[in-house]
Amino acid sequence: MDVRQEDTSGEIKHLKRCLNDLVSLLALPAMWSGSQPSQIVHTLLDALLGMLCLDLVYARFEDPAGGEPIKVLKIAPSATWILPDEIHKTLNQWSGDDPQKWPSLLRASIGDEDISMVSQRCGLHGEIGVIVAGSDRADFPGQTETLLLSVAANEAVIGLHEARLLLEQKRVASELDRRVAQRTAELAAINDELRKEIAERHRAEEALLESELNSRLILHSIPGLVCTMSPAGEVDRFNPQILEYFGKTSTELKGWAISDAVHPDDLPRVVAAFTHSITTGTPYDIEHRCRRADGVYRWFQARALPVRDTADRITGWYVLLTDIDDRKRAEDAIRASECDLSSIINTIPMLAWSARPDGFCDFLNQRWLDFTGLSAEQARGSGWGAAIHPDDAKSLLDSWQMALVTGQLADVEVRMRRFDGEYRWFLLRASPLRDELGKIVKWYGTNTDIDDRKRAEEELQRSEAFLAEGERLSVGGSFLWRLETDEITFSEQLYRTFEFDRDSPVTLERIGSRVHSEDIPLLTDTIEAARSGNTVLNYEIRLRMPNGSVKYLRTIAHGTRDRDGRPEIIGVIQDVTERRLAEEALSQARSDLAHVTRVTSLGVLTASIAHEVNQPLSGIITNAGTCLRMLAADPPNIEGARETAKRTIRDGNRASELVTRLRALFSKKESTTEPVDLNEATQEVIALSLSELRRNRVILRPEFADDLPVVTGDRVQLQQVILNLLKNASDAMSAVNDRPRQLQIRTERGTDNQVRLIVQDAGVGLDPQAMDRLFQAFYTTKNDGMGIGLSVSRSIIERHHGRLWAEPNDGPGATFSFSIPPRQGGASDAG
Amino acid sequence: MRDEEPRMIPSSLVSVVDDDESVRESLPDLLREFGFTARSFSSAEEFLASEYVGQTNCLILDVGMPGMSGPELQRELKLRGQHIPIVFITANRDEAVRPRVLAQGAVACLFKPFSDTALLEALNTALQVN
Repeated sequence: MDVRQEDTSGEIKHLKRCLNDLVSLLALPAMWSGSQPSQIVHTLLDALLGMLCLDLVYARFEDPAGGEPIKVLKIAPSATWILPDEIHKTLNQWSGDDPQKWPSLLRASIGDEDISMVSQRCGLHGEIGVIVAGSDRADFPGQTETLLLSVAANEAVIGLHEARLLLEQKRVASELDRRVAQRTAELAAINDELRKEIAERHRAEEALLESELNSRLILHSIPGLVCTMSPAGEVDRFNPQILEYFGKTSTELKGWAISDAVHPDDLPRVVAAFTHSITTGTPYDIEHRCRRADGVYRWFQARALPVRDTADRITGWYVLLTDIDDRKRAEDAIRASECDLSSIINTIPMLAWSARPDGFCDFLNQRWLDFTGLSAEQARGSGWGAAIHPDDAKSLLDSWQMALVTGQLADVEVRMRRFDGEYRWFLLRASPLRDELGKIVKWYGTNTDIDDRKRAEEELQRSEAFLAEGERLSVGGSFLWRLETDEITFSEQLYRTFEFDRDSPVTLERIGSRVHSEDIPLLTDTIEAARSGNTVLNYEIRLRMPNGSVKYLRTIAHGTRDRDGRPEIIGVIQDVTERRLAEEALSQARSDLAHVTRVTSLGVLTASIAHEVNQPLSGIITNAGTCLRMLAADPPNIEGARETAKRTIRDGNRASELVTRLRALFSKKESTTEPVDLNEATQEVIALSLSELRRNRVILRPEFADDLPVVTGDRVQLQQVILNLLKNASDAMSAVNDRPRQLQIRTERGTDNQVRLIVQDAGVGLDPQAMDRLFQAFYTTKNDGMGIGLSVSRSIIERHHGRLWAEPNDGPGATFSFSIPPRQGGASDAG
Repeated sequence: MRDEEPRMIPSSLVSVVDDDESVRESLPDLLREFGFTARSFSSAEEFLASEYVGQTNCLILDVGMPGMSGPELQRELKLRGQHIPIVFITANRDEAVRPRVLAQGAVACLFKPFSDTALLEALNTALQVN
């Protein structure tokens, strides 16, 4: 019962509160009177938040004028867990942009709390807006809460509507006020203007009057010819000057187009321009000649301007003729001189250009363009750089930059590329043009072709260098000796040759101090000879250098006279030390050669000789041993012993002969002259060398002439020659394996009873290019040869007044021959 | 003198091959004095062509000869399976020859001129080898 009573009293309380709330809500529109729509929304939401004990309340109302909707969110101070951003996010997720489609109830989780949110649409279809109320109470929204929300929504619609109406009324009223004020101001301004205009017009009329008076005065005193024309172009009025100039009546002048008033050459042009202006109404401006009264044509500038009325119609033309004859002539003169200058600049035989003070090239003459093949556009500015040789470009740019700063350009030599790609040397020169303050206003420059000069210079440098090199290579130097003053000039090379210090002058004493003591008399004599007028000096002198070495100098000089007729000696001195030393060495070598040759030849012979001697010795000893054994036999073999003893004697003789010949070979005697049978001598040589020839597989074919005259000479030397030829022939065939190693040796009687010996081999033959050198000492084709055999052989044959020569064979191999004259008055006793 | 000398096999044939005539003349007489049968040939080719190659008990051979040389004959005989003891003789006092021919199996190498005893000694060695 109590409970029920309790419930009932709670219900009553609740209803009371609900009614109070309703009354409060209904009273709101009265409070709102005159408020702005956003204020209305704020107070409504505040009221709802308190009244319904909400955690949050949100409203969104559309602006019927199409502006931004009013959005307001209010959160109860107690609901600290609610963050506005989260609510907006939730609402957006819930709803999207169109509140009409929002669901009426939503449960959402915000933070850790579950919250119920209810939306109440405003307006019949919710087109006005929406109110959202949220609470964490589980029973939210209750019936009364829904009712109160709905009432609040209605009240809000009404309040907002009224507020908007009021706003609109205010706006219209203020617009009206503004327009009235504006119009009033306009009218006042117009009024002012009118007043001013009237005053202006008054003043203008006065001025016009004055101006017309002035105009007439001006027209009559103006130093120009003036006339007016009708819209159709008929001349109607003139100032007196015009009549005076032409010397014509106004009637005559009216027909100017068919008179001589305008120069006949100009007339067609003038008529055309005139007609064009009259028909189109455009101003007219033309220069032509007009005939003065005395018949002289002068240049005038004719200008015509149309005069228009307020409707823009042409009412007439004003024509002014100004005498420009003097100006015209000046212009012509200038043009002519410019033309001259231009043609000069373009035809001078050099490349010319100009540049601005900042280095920008603004002009290049035609020659420049023709030479480089660049167009003016290409070369302008810094485009000209393309014509400069890449190796020269940097230094030129440096100089040019420097010149722009210092105002002075040093002469520069650069290579420029011709249109066909060939580079030529140019000398670049430029000077600045300065104004009265000394400021550079322009650069003018020229490029001069110095290619030929440059090449000549290079050539000169080369030949100078060549000369110096030549002096250096030939170890020669030149000198000049002035006889009157004993002044001596040495070339660089001579300083080096004499090892003189370059700082002190060269004197005869100084030269004398270098000359070898043994040659001082020669020097003294030579100086004497030069002084006494001997004009050709050619001598060799030795120097003793500070380090003790000796130099050989050859001097060739001649006397001459300088420009003033003073005698001088000019000459060259060549250091021939190397050559002299080489010659001395060669001479020594030559004197050694004879001995060397002998020793060498004998060395070659020794083996053969030993062999040949050992053979009879062997026979002797064997025979002697046999003989003794035969005599010791029982009974003694007397006959056998006698036979072996005979053989012993024979072999002994053979050995003895050999030893005799050897003694001759070793003899110190330079040569022995005796009658020599060449056949016999040759056979002996063959006998000596047979075993070696055989060892070399040489097939020897001797052939001896029966009627060979006896020659006079050194038997051993001639045999040496024959041996040498045989050995050479044998050696030449040592590598031959594809044909018989045939060696033919024969003697024959030649013309004038010359005795000839021929050695023909089938060896490697002769190198035609080496034929000349064949008989030179030390020339050899053999790996182990000394190259002296043929040289010595030839000298031996020549000592016998004969001749030694070589010929290539038709087939393989070579033929060596010598011929010697027969013994004078001697009969042939060869057999 | 005979009694002092070693006994020879009387029938031993010693062939002499030398291009030097004085050797061919003198040496066979001495060999016969020694008690050998002797034959002489002027060249290696002549010896090879003869009927005595197989019968020769010892060969006295000159080193340097035209055509086939002494060492070449030595080689040729070896190739033919004829193992005849060889005593080389040479007039060339070339020290390089001796070791070369000895290495090829020669019994001795005598430089001309040589003594009769030196020759006999060499022949005795040769025939003992045989």
